[in-house]
Amino acid sequence: MLEAGSRQRRHRPPVFDIQIEPVYSIGVPNEERAKADVLQGTLDIMILQTLATLGPSHGYAIAARIEQVSGGRVRLNMGTLYPGLMRLEQRDAVRGTWGVTDNSRRARFYAITAAGKKLLAAEKREWDRMVGIMQAILTEQG
Amino acid sequence: MRTVRAWLRRLIGTFREDPRDAEMQAELRSHLDLAAAELEGRGLSKADAARDARLHAGAVPQAMERMRDQRGLPWLADLLQDARFGARMLRRAPLVTAVALVTLTLAIGANSAIFSLADPLLFRDLPVRDPASLVQFTFQYPRDPPQNDFSLASYERYRDGNHAFSDLFGLAPLRTESRTGGDPIGVQIVTGNFFQALGVRPAFGRVLTSADDAPGAGPVAVVSWQYWKTRFNADGRVLGASIDVEDARVPVPMHATVVGVAERGFSGVVVGYRQDVWMSLSAVPDAMRSRAGLSLIARLGPGASIEQARAEMRVLHQVDIEELAKRDPQWNRVAIDVTPARTGLSTPLHQQFGGPLFLLMMLVGGVLLLACVNIGSLLLARGAARQHEMAVRVSLGAGRFRIVRQVLTESLLLASIGGMLGIIAARFGATMLMRIMTSGTRALGPAPSLVIPLDARVLTFTIGVTVLAAFLFGLAPAIAAFVSAPAPALRQITGAQPRSRRVFGNGLVVAQVAISMALLSVSQLSIAHLRHLRDRSLGFDRDRVLLMSVNTSRAQNRGQLTALYRDLAPRLQAIPGVRAVAASGTTPIAPGAASRFLRAEGFDEPEQDRRRASLNTVSPNYFATYETPLLAGRDFRDADVEQPRRVIVNQALTRQYFAGRNPLGLHVWLENDRDPYEIVGVAADAKYHDVRLAPPPTVYLFAPMSRGSTDLSLRTDVNPTAVAADARRIVNEVLGADSVRRVTTLAEQVDADIVPERLMAVLAGFFGTVGALLAAIGLYGLLAYTVARRTKEIGIRMALGATRGDVTRMILRGALTLVLAGFAIGAPAAFWGTRLAATAIENLSSGGVAPVAAATVAMLVIAALAGWMPARRATRVDPITALRAE
Repeated sequence: MLEAGSRQRRHRPPVFDIQIEPVYSIGVPNEERAKADVLQGTLDIMILQTLATLGPSHGYAIAARIEQVSGGRVRLNMGTLYPGLMRLEQRDAVRGTWGVTDNSRRARFYAITAAGKKLLAAEKREWDRMVGIMQAILTEQG
Repeated sequence: MRTVRAWLRRLIGTFREDPRDAEMQAELRSHLDLAAAELEGRGLSKADAARDARLHAGAVPQAMERMRDQRGLPWLADLLQDARFGARMLRRAPLVTAVALVTLTLAIGANSAIFSLADPLLFRDLPVRDPASLVQFTFQYPRDPPQNDFSLASYERYRDGNHAFSDLFGLAPLRTESRTGGDPIGVQIVTGNFFQALGVRPAFGRVLTSADDAPGAGPVAVVSWQYWKTRFNADGRVLGASIDVEDARVPVPMHATVVGVAERGFSGVVVGYRQDVWMSLSAVPDAMRSRAGLSLIARLGPGASIEQARAEMRVLHQVDIEELAKRDPQWNRVAIDVTPARTGLSTPLHQQFGGPLFLLMMLVGGVLLLACVNIGSLLLARGAARQHEMAVRVSLGAGRFRIVRQVLTESLLLASIGGMLGIIAARFGATMLMRIMTSGTRALGPAPSLVIPLDARVLTFTIGVTVLAAFLFGLAPAIAAFVSAPAPALRQITGAQPRSRRVFGNGLVVAQVAISMALLSVSQLSIAHLRHLRDRSLGFDRDRVLLMSVNTSRAQNRGQLTALYRDLAPRLQAIPGVRAVAASGTTPIAPGAASRFLRAEGFDEPEQDRRRASLNTVSPNYFATYETPLLAGRDFRDADVEQPRRVIVNQALTRQYFAGRNPLGLHVWLENDRDPYEIVGVAADAKYHDVRLAPPPTVYLFAPMSRGSTDLSLRTDVNPTAVAADARRIVNEVLGADSVRRVTTLAEQVDADIVPERLMAVLAGFFGTVGALLAAIGLYGLLAYTVARRTKEIGIRMALGATRGDVTRMILRGALTLVLAGFAIGAPAAFWGTRLAATAIENLSSGGVAPVAAATVAMLVIAALAGWMPARRATRVDPITALRAE
C-alpha cells in the first residue's frame, strides 16, 4: 500500500484533542500511533454516555454535545469519531440506522443497546477505580 | 465473547466491504453538511461555513482511511494485497515460476515422503506410557541377523530374577494366512501383563491381565480399535465373539474369546506390521507353549540405567547360553544386548531400511537446501529487473519493511503452492516406496505393512519445511530489496550493480556447486556399492540363468533320483538356447540355506572354536552352469554316483582348514555323519545365501537330484524366460504334472535380496542428478546474466583487439573460478557426507577419495556444459552493436 502523506496543518494549537495523528515523511515512512488503547477506552465512554443521555443521535450531534459539555476542550474530528462508532457497533454496544433529521437531512442515527448500557456501567466503574488509584498515589493519602 | 464476534465482523469486513464505501462516505458528507448548516445558522456564508466545517471536522479521505482500517483487519488486507500482487508477479514470469514450482514440488515432496516413512520407523515414540523407559533385548549368532527370541521358561526366569526392570513382557507374532486371499490378519500372542505394562487402556471391555496367564485360564483376546471398526463394524457385540486363527507351526487351530477393544490410537509395539488381535498365552496348546519364541520388552525401573540392565541381563542370559553352547560352542561368542525401544520393537524392516531411510533424509534435505539456494539466485536475478519498480515505490513513500514484507509474501506464496503440490506428490511417492520396500525376499517377517500417515506430524513437518524454504530463498531478494537505493535505479544506470550484490549472487552459485558435489559423492557411493554387490563380487555369473524349483517326490530313493536326472538333464540341455543344466539342493542367494559343523583332516582345533560350513548338494555341471571356475581337481561326474562320498570344497574352506596344503585327496567329516568325505575338487568362492556376507567355507556334496524338491538351473544364451515354457513342459513330462513350483531367473533372485541397496542407489542417483541439474541451471543462469551484463565491455575488448578465443577463455575462466570455489567448500562436505553414509549403512565403506573424485569430474563436465552456451554467445557479440546499445 503506497502511503503517501503530508504534514497535517492546523490553525490553532489543540487544547485537548483526541486526534490520533500519523506522521509521514518522504523516504523514511514511519507511523506513530499514540497509545490508542487508553484513548480508545475513554472515547468509548464518552460516546456511550452521550447516547445514554441524549438518546438516539447522529454523529455530528454526538461530537457537538461532547464538545459543548467539555467546554470546548474535547474536539472530535470525523477520523476519530466514526471509527469509534464503528468499533462500538461491531461490539454490539450501539446500533446504527439511517434516518432523517429535523431539517429533513439524511443522517445515520446511533442508539445505545442493552449490551452497550452494561458496557458503559462497567467502564464507568473501571474509570472510577482508576481515578481513585491515581488520586491516592498523587496526593499520597492512604 | 463480544470481542470475538467483533473480530469476526472485522474478518468478514476484510473480504466483503460491509458497510460499503459509498455508505461510509455518505455518512461523512452528512456530518459535514450538518456542521456547515449549524455554522450557517450562526451567520457565516455558505462557503465560509463549508470551509470551517471541513477544517473543524477533518478531511473526508483521511476519515475514510481510518474507517476502512476499522472495518477490516488492516494486516490481513495488506497480506492479501501482497499475495495478489505476488501472484501477478509470478504470472508475469511463467518460465521462472514453473521451474521454481517444479523444483519446490520435488524438493518438498521428497522430504515429506521420506519423512512420512522414516518417522514411524525411526523417530515417533510409541503411543504408550513413558516410551523413553522401554528397552528390548537382542542377541546375534555369528553371521545371523540380530534376534529377539526367548523361550517362555527364560522369560519367567528373567521376570522373576531381575532388579533393573519394573515390567517385563513378551510377544510372539503368529504366521497366519488369509483364507480369503487378502492380507493376513496380524495376531500376536502376548504375556498377560502386556497392556498394563505399556499403560494401554481399553476403549471397551477389558485388557489382558496376569490372571489370564494362570494355569486353567481361558484363552482371551483383545482386538485393536482399527480392526474393531473394519471387521466388526464398531459393533458393541464384539465382546464375547470368538477369534480363530491357524498358524502353520501349530498343529491345531487356536481360539480365543474377545474380552476388550484397545484404546484408539494403539496399534501395537511392532511398527510396520499389522497388529489386529492380541491373544493370551493360554490360547497356545499346552504342549507347544514351552516352545513359543517370545520377543521381550522391558521397562526400566526408576533410577535404573541401560548399562545396569545390560549387565544384569548378561548374567541372567548366561544360563541359556551355556545350555546352547553344549551343542554348538559358537554360542559362547554371543552376548545379549539391551537397547532402547521407545520407537518400537526392532524388526527386519528397521534393520534393512532404517539406515537407508536415515541417509535418504539427509540427502533430500541437501536437495531442498540446494533447491532453495537455486530459487533464491533465480529470484535475485529477477529482482534486479524489478529494481526500477522498487525504487519508484520507495520514493513514493513505501516503507522498507513494507517492501521486504511483500517480497517475503511472494516467496511464501511460491513456497505454499510448491508445498501443497509437494504433499500430493509425497503421498504417491511414499506409497510407491513402501510397496518397493516390502517387495524383496529378504525375510521381512509376517505381514509387513507400514501405514503411511498423513497426520499432524507429517503435515507439521511439511509446513515447517515449506516455511523454511520460503525464508531461505526469499531472503536473498528480500535483502536486496531492503538495501535498494532509489537514486541509481531511477537514473537507470544499467550494469552498475553494487559489488555486494554481485558477490552475493556469485556466492549463491558457489554454494550450489558445493552442495551438489556432496550430493553427487553420496549418490556415487551408493551406486558403486550396489554395483559391487550385484555384479562384481558374486563369484558366479548372474545373467541368463533360469531357475526352477521342481517337485521330485515321485522318486523314492537315490536310484530313482539318478534315473530321473539322467532322463531330465539331456532333454533340458537339448532345448535350443540352453548351454548348461544342473540340479542342486539350493541356489545362490536363495531363501534356503544349510550348514553343518565340519572337522577337517589334519586340522586340530579346540571344541569351542568349531565352526559351521555351508552345504549344497549339486549335480555334475553345476560349476559350469554358474561359471564358477574350478581351481583344482575335477567336477563331479556321472560315475560318482557309485562313490558318493566325494565332495568339492571352495577356496574359503581351503584357506581356513587346509592352509598351505593341497586339499585334494584329504578328508572332511560332517557332524552326525560317521564316515569321511574325500575332497576331489576346489571351486572358486561364490556367495551363498546373503549377498552382503563374504562367501563362507562351503562343501558341495554330490547328489544328482535331491529328495522331495530340487532346484534346476539352466544357463542360456538367450533371455532365460524364452526357454521357460519348453523347460516346464519337459519337467512336467518327466516328473509328473504340476511339478514346477517356482520359476525365476538368477538375476531376479539376486536382486530380490538387495532391495534396500537398490532402492538406495536409485533414489540417491536420482537426487544426485537433480542436484547436479540444479547446480548446472544456476551456473548457466549466472553466466548468461554475466555475459548479458558485460556485453558492452566485451564489445570494447573485441574492438580493442581481443579474439574470440580470448573472450571464450574469459567467460570460462569465470565459470571455473566459481566451480573451484565450490570445490573448496564442497570437497570437505562431500567427505563428511560419505563418512556419514558409511555409518548409516552397514557394509558400506566410505570409499575414500573415489566418490569425491568422481563428483569432481562430474561437476567439471557440468560446468563446461553450462558455460558453453554463454561463452558462445559472448563470442557472437558484434562490437559495433554492443557499443551502440545500452
